[in-house]
Amino acid sequence: MGLPEFARVSEQVLSELGIEQKRGTVSLVPDERTIRYYLAEGLIQPADEKQGTASVFAYKHLLQLVAVKKLQAEHLPIRKIRELVTDKDEQQLESLLGVNASARKGTDDKEAKRYLESLLAPSMSFGGIQGAPQETAPLSPAAEAPRSDSSVSWQRVEIEPGLELHIRSDYKPAVAARTKGLTERIRTAISRYWRERQ
Amino acid sequence: MTQQYPKIEFFTTREKVLAGREQTIDVLIRITPPDLDLENTKRTPLNLSLVLDRSGSMAGDKMVRAREAAMYCVDQMLPTNRLSVVVFDDRIDTLFPSEPVTNKKSMKDLICRIDARGSTALHEAWVRGGLTISDLLLERGINRVLLITDGQANVGITSTDEIVTQSLALFQRGISTSTIGIGADFNEDLLLPMAQSGGGNAWHVVEPQDMQRIFQVELDGLVAQFAHTVSLSLIPSDGIRIADVLNDFELTETGRYRLPNLQAGSALDIVVQLKMGAQAVGSTLRLLDLRMGFTPQDQNTADVVKSAFSVEFVESNEDLAVNHEVVKAVQFLMNARARREAMERIDRGDFAGAQVVLGQSIAATQAVCAPFASMEAVVEECASLEEVAKFLDNRNQDGMSRKKLAYAAYSRRTGKIS
Repeated sequence: MGLPEFARVSEQVLSELGIEQKRGTVSLVPDERTIRYYLAEGLIQPADEKQGTASVFAYKHLLQLVAVKKLQAEHLPIRKIRELVTDKDEQQLESLLGVNASARKGTDDKEAKRYLESLLAPSMSFGGIQGAPQETAPLSPAAEAPRSDSSVSWQRVEIEPGLELHIRSDYKPAVAARTKGLTERIRTAISRYWRERQ
Repeated sequence: MTQQYPKIEFFTTREKVLAGREQTIDVLIRITPPDLDLENTKRTPLNLSLVLDRSGSMAGDKMVRAREAAMYCVDQMLPTNRLSVVVFDDRIDTLFPSEPVTNKKSMKDLICRIDARGSTALHEAWVRGGLTISDLLLERGINRVLLITDGQANVGITSTDEIVTQSLALFQRGISTSTIGIGADFNEDLLLPMAQSGGGNAWHVVEPQDMQRIFQVELDGLVAQFAHTVSLSLIPSDGIRIADVLNDFELTETGRYRLPNLQAGSALDIVVQLKMGAQAVGSTLRLLDLRMGFTPQDQNTADVVKSAFSVEFVESNEDLAVNHEVVKAVQFLMNARARREAMERIDRGDFAGAQVVLGQSIAATQAVCAPFASMEAVVEECASLEEVAKFLDNRNQDGMSRKKLAYAAYSRRTGKIS
């Protein structure tokens, strides 16, 4: 994108992120003049590409600009901002802006689970954990342990058309209190399955 | 419900500061979150996983007490809370997966049967504990793994750096970690940073019979947690310089101070030393602007509180009363630094040096706090320092001495009650 569009997009991103600054010595929105000033100060890298005489700005430049405005809003001096923003790659800038740590903001409540599964993946040998985590939600504590025993067998029990339970021959019915939790887990598993199909 | 904000107060040793000379002054910043309104506030929803060490070294009294503490935990929780228990040695078992705490008896029956055996697969057990609660993360409650161990990680991933990094990453994804180390043989250099990066608390249980009390403090803390992800920026005015922040907080990526979680009704004391040039008699100067970001427990977006501190400069302030709270806060934070210096000396084998450092701290505390020596906190602080200094006479107790120093320093810096 060219400079005018760059200014417009960054203004939009800033307002979406809720970054604002009291009107004072620094400008509230990054107009084209401000962007040229940041370029001259080295806070934003020069565009890598040109179209004729116009500079073409990319995602990284946008991250740099938004980071500068965010840090200004936190009253950091330019010297400190330069230190934090220059020579950072896109990922580092994203984490500076907090757009990576989004779990707390409710955008993806399965991030913790996927992360924990990734920690187990290299050392754990039993299947399914990485490929299809949703289907392997433990139904009983025993299902957590890897099984190599070939003497166990599985039986299918139809609950209603289209829904079956698979029960391992050595599975013992849960005690009363756990049955309640079990019902809830089955319900959760079914609704999650549906959500993901849609 | 309208959002309540923490109260921010500033104190100097004397209410007014001497004019006409260059100086460095101590400023106590006291941050007091609002009290828990028990009548109008619902208790923070909890989603908790107890990860309990059952390795061979836990055998005997420790295992008995740990079981008791876990059962106590079951008793304290509400039917709307969720709990899972994971037990580990070199093998890891989910005693029961995450469930609403509705049938306490059957949960306690299962806990009752935990026995000690095997070695310590600490890392994987922690991950598995996290997994048990990761399916139904509470967006506005607390999702926490509480890891209880007396040993060193010796099966699976054992690198401290790796585990601490993962603990921070998991916290950023919504699950915090608290750690309870029992006795003298666990690795405090793992459990302390794991809890600090993990957004939880670190506890040291010296005697097995203290276990239940620590559980109580942790559970009370969970219920009373006011805000997490707390950071502070201090912006001195022109001509003023921050010489030191005695709490030695870690910095965030944006250079702000990373503060501990805020607990309802429990104040956090921060001491900043400000260096300044000579000021005119009768002038009032704005020294410092403060901006604290935090995420209230019952919300999922960050909030900010701002404040500023001004002080009046006078020709003489001798007749103004000395603020004991400021003197005490400064000394206790200096003692926290002394404790860590003593730890470093212990690590180098310089036990006599460690004793000297602690001895100097005791003497300084007694001298500085003499006008209010009977204050309970002062008596406790001196007793705590003297206990470790005496412990160091016994070479068999080095591990315990180091742990006592580590946890006392941590609790002074972060305002945690131990």
